[in-house]
Order: sequence, then C-alpha cells, then structure tokens
Amino acid sequence: MSEAAVTVGGAGAYDAPDFVMGIDEIGSRAAAVVQNVETVIAGKRDAVTAALTVLLAEGHLLIEDVPGVGKTMLAKALARSVDCSVSRIQFTPDLLPSDVTGVSVFDQSSRRFEFKRGPVFANIVIGDEINRASPKTQSALLECMEERQVTADGTTYVLDLPFTVVATQNPVEMEGTYPLPEAQRDRFMARISMGYPSPADELAMLSTRETSSPLDRLATVVTLGELRAMIAAVQHVFTSQPVKEYAVELARATRDDRQLRLGASPRATLQLIRAAKAHAAMHGRDFVLPDDVDALAVPVLAHRLVPTSRAIGAHDRDSGPLIDAVVRRIVGETPVPVGSARRI
Amino acid sequence: MRPDLMPLSRAQRLALTATSFLFLVIATMALGPLIAGSGWWWLCAFIAAGTLFSGFGLRSIRTPPSLVPVLELVVLLLLLTLLFGGGTSVALIVPTAETFETFGELMAGAQRTIEQQSVPAIPVPPLTFALAVGIGLLAVVVDILVQTARMPALAAAPALVPILIPGFIIEAGAELPTLVLTAAAYLLLLRVDVRVRRRARLAAGEEGDQAATVIAPKRVPIVSTLGASLGLAAVGLLAASVLAASTPSVSTSLLLGSPSQGTLFARGVSPFIDLGRDLRRPEPLPAFHYLARDGDRPYFTLLTLDRFEGEVWSPTQTAVDGDNTVDQMPRPDGLSSAVETSQHPIDVVVDEVRTTWLPVPYPTARIEGLEGSWFWDDGALTVRSVDTNTGGQSYRVTRLDVEPTPQQLRNADRDLDDELASFLALPEEMPAIIAETAVALTASASPYDAAVAIQAYLRGAEFDYSTEAPVEDGYDGGGFDVIARFLETKAGYCVHFASTMAVLARESGIPSRISIGYTQGSPTDQRVDGVQRIEVDSHDLHAWPELYFEGVGWVPFEPTPGRGTVPGYSRPGAGEEGAPPLASAPPTGPGSTGRPDVDPDGGLAGQVADPVATATQLWIRSGVVALAVAVLLLLPALFRLSQRRARIRRIRRDERPADAAWDELAATALDLGAGGNGGETPREFAARLAEREAFDDARARAAIVRLRDAVERERYGPAGGGTAGAAASGSLVDDLATARAALLADAVGAERARALLMPHSLVDGVRRVLGGRARAGA
Repeated sequence: MSEAAVTVGGAGAYDAPDFVMGIDEIGSRAAAVVQNVETVIAGKRDAVTAALTVLLAEGHLLIEDVPGVGKTMLAKALARSVDCSVSRIQFTPDLLPSDVTGVSVFDQSSRRFEFKRGPVFANIVIGDEINRASPKTQSALLECMEERQVTADGTTYVLDLPFTVVATQNPVEMEGTYPLPEAQRDRFMARISMGYPSPADELAMLSTRETSSPLDRLATVVTLGELRAMIAAVQHVFTSQPVKEYAVELARATRDDRQLRLGASPRATLQLIRAAKAHAAMHGRDFVLPDDVDALAVPVLAHRLVPTSRAIGAHDRDSGPLIDAVVRRIVGETPVPVGSARRI
Repeated sequence: MRPDLMPLSRAQRLALTATSFLFLVIATMALGPLIAGSGWWWLCAFIAAGTLFSGFGLRSIRTPPSLVPVLELVVLLLLLTLLFGGGTSVALIVPTAETFETFGELMAGAQRTIEQQSVPAIPVPPLTFALAVGIGLLAVVVDILVQTARMPALAAAPALVPILIPGFIIEAGAELPTLVLTAAAYLLLLRVDVRVRRRARLAAGEEGDQAATVIAPKRVPIVSTLGASLGLAAVGLLAASVLAASTPSVSTSLLLGSPSQGTLFARGVSPFIDLGRDLRRPEPLPAFHYLARDGDRPYFTLLTLDRFEGEVWSPTQTAVDGDNTVDQMPRPDGLSSAVETSQHPIDVVVDEVRTTWLPVPYPTARIEGLEGSWFWDDGALTVRSVDTNTGGQSYRVTRLDVEPTPQQLRNADRDLDDELASFLALPEEMPAIIAETAVALTASASPYDAAVAIQAYLRGAEFDYSTEAPVEDGYDGGGFDVIARFLETKAGYCVHFASTMAVLARESGIPSRISIGYTQGSPTDQRVDGVQRIEVDSHDLHAWPELYFEGVGWVPFEPTPGRGTVPGYSRPGAGEEGAPPLASAPPTGPGSTGRPDVDPDGGLAGQVADPVATATQLWIRSGVVALAVAVLLLLPALFRLSQRRARIRRIRRDERPADAAWDELAATALDLGAGGNGGETPREFAARLAEREAFDDARARAAIVRLRDAVERERYGPAGGGTAGAAASGSLVDDLATARAALLADAVGAERARALLMPHSLVDGVRRVLGGRARAGA
C-alpha cells in the first residue's frame, strides 16, 4: 500500500460553510469573543486579539513568555468561547512523535491495527514548552501544522478545520532545550508575548479565582459553524494592489536592512496579508488597510527575523526587544501607498 | 536639524566661521570702486566679525541652532547702536526708542544719498549705516547657510550681492583682483567644509557598532537644496534691495528705469525747460527766511549752469569731493586782494523749500549749523548735500561781500587762464542775430563796458518782461533758437534775459555762466537791533548771469527788467565823474521787492520746492520694489491656492474625490507644521489630528472621520465600493472645509501666516515625487 493512499476525516471545509456571514457580523462576533476571553484573562486585549486574528486567518500562534502568565489559559478560553475542541500537549525531552500524532494499536477483537488519534486531532492544540521536545517530535507537530493532516501507516488523516496550534515557548535559556530553528519558527503565523499583568489586574485575578477556575463559567459565544463561516468570510476580504505592494515592500525592507541577518520569507508576506485580512474583518471592514498590515507587522514578522551580531551588541536591552524595534522602524520608514492611480 | 549632520567640534566651527568671515569681507571689497576711502570697509569688517563670531560663541555654549540667527541679529543691533546710536543708547549698546528713530533717519538719509551722490560716493554716516546693516544681514545669512544648514556652497548667493552691485552702477563692474580673491575665498570655504565633513565622518566611523545603529534615512539632497534656493532667492532680493539702497547713485534708477526727478538740478538736464513747465503754478510757497543787517540783501544761489551746448544750459557734472566741507570755504576764483571785501553773517531758516542744493550767497566764506553732510563744489561754490536736503535746516552763512569798483572791472586783465575757456565756449551754429547784436553792442568797448552795455540794452524800453512769451512750445529755455526769437520779439522772463546776456557776453569774449536761485526777498516788519527778517518765497526764484573779470572773479549782473537789484557797478556810467554813489540801486519796477505783478518765474517753484513730487517718486519706486518682493513672496501662496482649487475641482468632478480631499487636508496640516512622515497611514494621521484641541468639536471630528473612511475606501477598498455622486462629493467638500477650518482655528497666527506664505507642502510635494523616483530606481 502506497503512502497516503487512504484519506480519512476532515470536517468543515471552508468552501462550503454552513451559512454565509456578513462582514459587519464578523466584527461583532469577534468583539464578543474577545470580551468573553477577557473575563478570564484581564488586561491582555492585544494578546487576545492577536490570538483570535490568527485563529480566523488559519494560522498558528507562538506565545513566547515566562511560565505562569496565562498562555494556556488564553488558548483554553479561546477554545471554549468558540465551542471547539481543544487539546494540550506538554512537550518534554522524552516525548515521541506518536505521542503527538497518535499511534496504531492492534485490536485483538478485529485483528487489525486501529489508529488511536493523538492530541493533535483537535481544533485548537496547545503545545506547551515546545522547545523542550526533541527536534524529531517538534517536526512531527510542524508537519501537521503545515499539511493539516497526519499520516500514519500509509493512511492520511485530515484534521478537522479550523486547526490552530498555539505553542508556547520559554525564552529563558535552560539546559536540555531545543530552540525552534528559524525554518520552523517561520511556520507560525504570529508570535506574541503575554507579559505580566498589571498589579490591578493581578489583584483582581486573585479574587476571581479564589474558589474555582473562571474557565468553568465561561460561556460559548460562537458556535463552531459560525467560526467556520467567519473564517470563510475572512478569506474574501478584499486586498488592494497598493496594500499588497506595501506588504511586499515591508518584506523587502527587512531583507535589505543593515541590522538584520535574515529577512522575512515570502511565506511571511503571505501570512502578513492573511492576518491583515482577519484584522480588517474583525474591525468590520471588507478591505485591508495599510493600518491592518502595520498593526500585525511586529507579531507576524518579528519572530522570523535574525539580527546581526553587531546590532545585538549595540542594542540597549532596556528599550525592549531589538527585533520589535527594528520592525517598528521599518514600518515607520516605509512609505504608505496612496493608491494605484498615484503610483509612478 | 537634519539627522545626517554630524556635530562639529569647536575648532571646526571656528574654522568655518573664520573662512565665512574672510569670504564675506573679501566679497565686500567689491564695493571699493563705489565708495571713497577704506574706512567703510573696516567698519563692515567689524560688523561682519562681530556678527559671525558672536554666532560662533553662541554655538560654543550650545545655544539651540534655531535661536542662533535671532541672537546674531540682536548682536548686530547692539553693534549698530554702539556705532551709530550716538547719545541715544543706554550703556552705549542698548538701543532706546530714540535710537530707532535715529536709525530711521539714517536709512532715509541713505536713500537720499543714493540719489544724490555719484561714484565714488563719500561714506557719510547714513551710507555707512546702510552698508553696516546690509553686511550684518548678509553675515547672518551666510552663517545660517554655512553653520546651521551646512550648505556652504550656497553662501555664494549672499556674497554675490556686493559683487553684483558695482556692475549695475559702473560700467567696469567689480575689479578683477577682487573677483579673483573672492573666488579664492569661496574655494577656501568649500575646502574647509569638506575637511570638516571628512573628519566628522571618520570620527563617526571609529565608533563602530554605535554608528551602525544610527541609520540615516535615505534623502534626496537636491530637494533640500532646491527648497533652500527658493528661500534664498527671496532673501537675496531683499538683501539686494537693502544693499542697493545703501550704494550710491544710479542703482535704483537703473533698477526701475526712471531717473529721479526730485534731484533735477543734479542731473544735468537743462533746468530751464523743466522750470518752464511749471510756469502756470501761481501759488507761492515760502522758501526760507533770513535775518540780516541792512545792506545785506544778497541773491541766494542754488546752482550754477556753466555749460552751453546750443540747446541747453547745464552744470558741469563733478563728483562731490569729501574734503570740501562747508566749515571753511575757499576764496572765490579770480578775486585779488586789491578788491575790497567784508564778511557778513546771515542766519537762514528754511521754511518749505526741499532741495539738495543749499541757497547761499555767492561767494560764501563758511556755513555753520547745518544738519547732514554738505559739500561745496569747486569754482561755483554752490553747496550740495549727499545725504539730506534743505528741509528744516537752519544755518549761518558768512557771506563774503565783494565790492569791486568800476575801475577795477574796467581795468581787468584781458588775458584769461585757459581754465576759463569753457566759460567762453559757444557752439558753432549760432544764429546770425546773436552775433549781430553782440557786435552792435560791444563794438570797441572793454569787457566791462561791453557787459554794462548788454545789460543796459536788455533792460531798455524795447524789452518787456512778458508772461506771453513762454506760452509757445519750445520757448522755455535758453538755447540758441530761443535766444534768437527772444531778440526778435523782445519779450520774455528771467531765463531768457539771463541766457541771452550770458551768450552775448561769451560772444564778446567775457566768460559767463548762469546762476539759479532766489532774489533778495521781501523784508518784513520784524526788526531787532538792526537785524531784519526777510522772507523769500517761490516767487523770488530767479536766474541771472554772472560774468568773470580777472582780479575780481565772478560778478553778477541783472539784465531782467523789473526783477531784483541792479548792482551799482553795472549801471551805465558807474564810476564816472558825477555818477551816483556806488551803492546798490533800489529795486526798480513795481513793488518793493522788484517782483512783477504777474510773475511767471514763480513757476520755478514747481521743481525746486515741491517736496510732494520727490516724495511721490520715492514712494512709487519703493512701491515697485515692495511689489516685486511681495509678488515673489506670494508666489508660493498663489501656487498653493491654485493647487487647492484644482483638488476641489477634482472632488466635484468625482475623480478620485476622497483622495483629493485627503491630499488637501494633509497638505494643510503640513503647512501648519502638523504633517506626518511618509510612513503615516490616513488612520494614524486622522487620529493624530483628532487629538488637537479644535477637534474636540463633534462636527469637526465627524468630518475628519468621514474623510478618512472615504479615502481609505477609495484607496484600498474594492473598486466601485466608494460612494459616488454629486451628493457625496458635495459632502466631501463640506467635510474638507470643516476639517480645514478646525485645523486653522487650532493654529496660532504665526503658524497660519507661515502656512499661507511658505506652504511646506509644496516642498514636500517635490520631495515626494523625487523620492518616489528614487525608490523606483532602487
């Protein structure tokens, strides 16, 4: 039997959504989701919005932050708000690829191998501390992310849509970790960091969680069908030629920049536009603005770029991450397009 | 400040300042051929040094760059106060209101001195003041260009001003060595600047990684140079007009193509013709009055005409000699010690007459109490000013009373110096009647007797003092044709009598010239201690001949019947046995003043005493200069206005209307200094504007949001998604007007004025076009 001869599963293709959703409704639904998630994670609107944007744009999210700031909580709250399945994988050095994708076990009664689906078969997969797993296991997950399918014993299992991986990574250097190489970081649509909550938010959190987890009380505001309709609508958001050129120009600027050793890939440009479409839709617009691109430039581009050692040496660490500053500078310097009729 | 400028060390700034100074003072040397002496140059160098090096000092103590030019101007003001403020300043350098009045007078004096002086000009205080102001301003401009803007190449523009001025005024222009030196100084300045830049770049390079983080945005230097050049053109024109006003003679006339009528007598056009034009202006103007003892009733000479070229009488054009100050005037030409003379003081107070020629008796020993700079002319001893006029003057003339006897005149040596040949010159095409008359009158007599005979002939009963004569065209004047007709018709007024006698005298071998001035005037009842007040008005204007006798000098005659006083020595039979005593005869003719009842000579007032005409000329010329400057300054505003009109038309034509509206709003914001960089999206821009106070108003805020949404949809939305139609474009225009009004309301007056006159969006537009091309090529 040749590889991938059999294809199984795959619910929720976007080309035939259950119903069509208008662009205005996307905005209100998205706002409802963000508001809902915020009841659990206070004061992190940017992170919540970015996560929802990635979900709507069918991307994957990398959250890079210290432990205990609510990375998992964010993913779970998001999943619960949209009524989709969620699974969590704790990556450890001894985790095997099959622990992620699933394993074929021999069924005595039927006398055949039966595929036990791994945790990757969920709409939202939370990969905790992804950098602690071996590269082999990492790449198993990454294949799923890219292909949106799992192949085991010659059978290809298509994952249900939407499929979004929310991976977390601890930035603090530790022994026995395998930081994601540049090529693999590139597969994540966006990287965000949660950051510590403000003292007031932290205090509020203490009182709300005294007795039980607020996650239990979280209501569902969007059904899975509605989510699929939203994603389908996002795909039809209009992107004008100037905005596309703007995205290309931004990517090109990162490649030419003196402070960067590695610039943005064409995949980055593609994902920047996709994310910008989701961002536009969430703001109730059926076309993309340069502002949408600007807003997502740091989350979408920053983790793919590699600074030169000179730039790292010269960087003042107190002024925030170097790469974020570089991307903001490039965004600031790149002229905003003013429309096709005006281009020379 | 431009981000790619490296900070300069103190030594580098000093080097740039020193070379700027050198460049400027060498360029100033180009004015050398125009101005006498070198004192003015040292003063200019002092001013330039004070201004430039104060700038250096200010920069050394880290004064904000934008403030330095302002403080330099303050230093310039203090220096001017020190040098020109006189007693009006506090602690020598702090100007007071009076100081500014003094400055205003000096500038007015400078304006006059331009009109009155010829090359080389005497550096009278008003002229040096104007030079100092001009050089000081140029120094500030050069300093801005070299130090603040770091564009030393453009420093050539202000330095061109002193270099170009001589070219306007004298044919040869600036002298070659000066030009070569200036060019050398310019190259030195550029060289120093290049060295400084190279040093700064090397120094920056050594800092290694630090330098790598400083990333200058790619700029198109042409644009900033272009903008600077446009600004400089305006500054240059202003500076040129200041300096043109501070340099002598023809500059302003050349600039505007009209000779100054206010200084007619200085110009060499025959005064007669112009005098005749105004013959029918009957209103007398009080010219001046004087206090003198009995017997001191001289004629007052304004100017003397000695050149006769057949058609016109004109004065010999001579440059003012700066050594000829009026506190000590020379003994008149030809006067020997044998002739009895006495000195009599006369106090003159000028009332209405405004002229650069001072009414003084001939001859005069000295004059005291004058304001401004006055100088006497060789020979004629007429007195003129180079920087002021007779207005408001009050002075004491010490008149030299020459009392020759008829015998002295009759015995005068007939051998004349060659110098006097010009006073005998007569053109060849002389009408026969003149020669015939001369022969008939002076057949065998001595020069003196001939002169007396001519005067007696003209004063004879055959000749009438006539107001009819001047009516015909061409009869006003003293040319051959006029004289010939006068001798036939035997009617005319003082101009005809004087010129006829002068020509007949020359024909008879007596040197002659014509003086123009006032007769002795009318005495009043005011008399204190034997000193009588005598008033002279425009009806006393007069022309009379003066004849030269060796050993006595120039002697006046009075051929005009009914005017003035006939000198005793010139009466027929004077000095002979039984003749009347040699006192001046009482005035003849009607009235105690000898003034005829109908006095066409009063028309002389038209040119000499009409301050209005002079002022009008001045105003017209200042007006034209001001208009030219204003048009230049308004050009950007006009261009900007037409741009706005074009955009509003685009909105109405529905031709990317939101784009046009947004461009206009952005340009307005840019003009008001609220512009963003190219990396700002409409949304960010609108958000920034909305933070301004004026947009607290809900209407303005809503307008800007609508404009923003429209432009976003038009630029980035799907085609056909925009709201088209007349209603939409109408509301866009309204929204644009509302948002612009809010923006303008938010700005202070100075910002609005700057936005109107120097719209920054124009420069930015050029930059965007060039920048776009540069990117496309990259």
